[in-house]
Amino acid sequence: MDLADRVIGFLLSCISLSIFTYYTFWVIILPFVDSDHFIHKYFLPQGYAILIPVFAGVALLSFLCIFIGFVMLKSKKKKA
Amino acid sequence: MKHIVKIISLLVAISALWIGLLQTSLISPDYPLMLPVYLVVSLGCYGLLMVGVGLMQFPTCPQESMLLQQDIIEAKTFLRQKGVDIGSN
Repeated sequence: MDLADRVIGFLLSCISLSIFTYYTFWVIILPFVDSDHFIHKYFLPQGYAILIPVFAGVALLSFLCIFIGFVMLKSKKKKA
Repeated sequence: MKHIVKIISLLVAISALWIGLLQTSLISPDYPLMLPVYLVVSLGCYGLLMVGVGLMQFPTCPQESMLLQQDIIEAKTFLRQKGVDIGSN
């Protein structure tokens, strides 16, 4: 249990650091690179840099709402 | 009260910097428009990193838990000797 928690924490840190590095490259550094440079092959067009976080935020928010609704339904059933 | 003043002044400074970047048109105008989204994404990454670090070095104290279990057993035997009903186990 302790080791599993540690591994999950390490994975979360790795994921967050990689997302941060990739997004920084994508948004901050890439507009200053020439548009015919080969590094542009590894990144989606600039519009997706807004679309993907917005979609992720909306998905997260709806998942949270569904989860809270389920918990409230369950607690109501237990009380009755 | 002091803390919220600090946070609000930081927000005001960041937004002033952003508006300044938008107005100066030193670089292409649609480039600073990305910065709020970038700030939100980096805030989310920071939160995820803090959760991960907190999970990695979760403070546990097994010796204290052993001492607590010993205390519980001691208290239960004491109460049982005095005739208090504390359940089966």
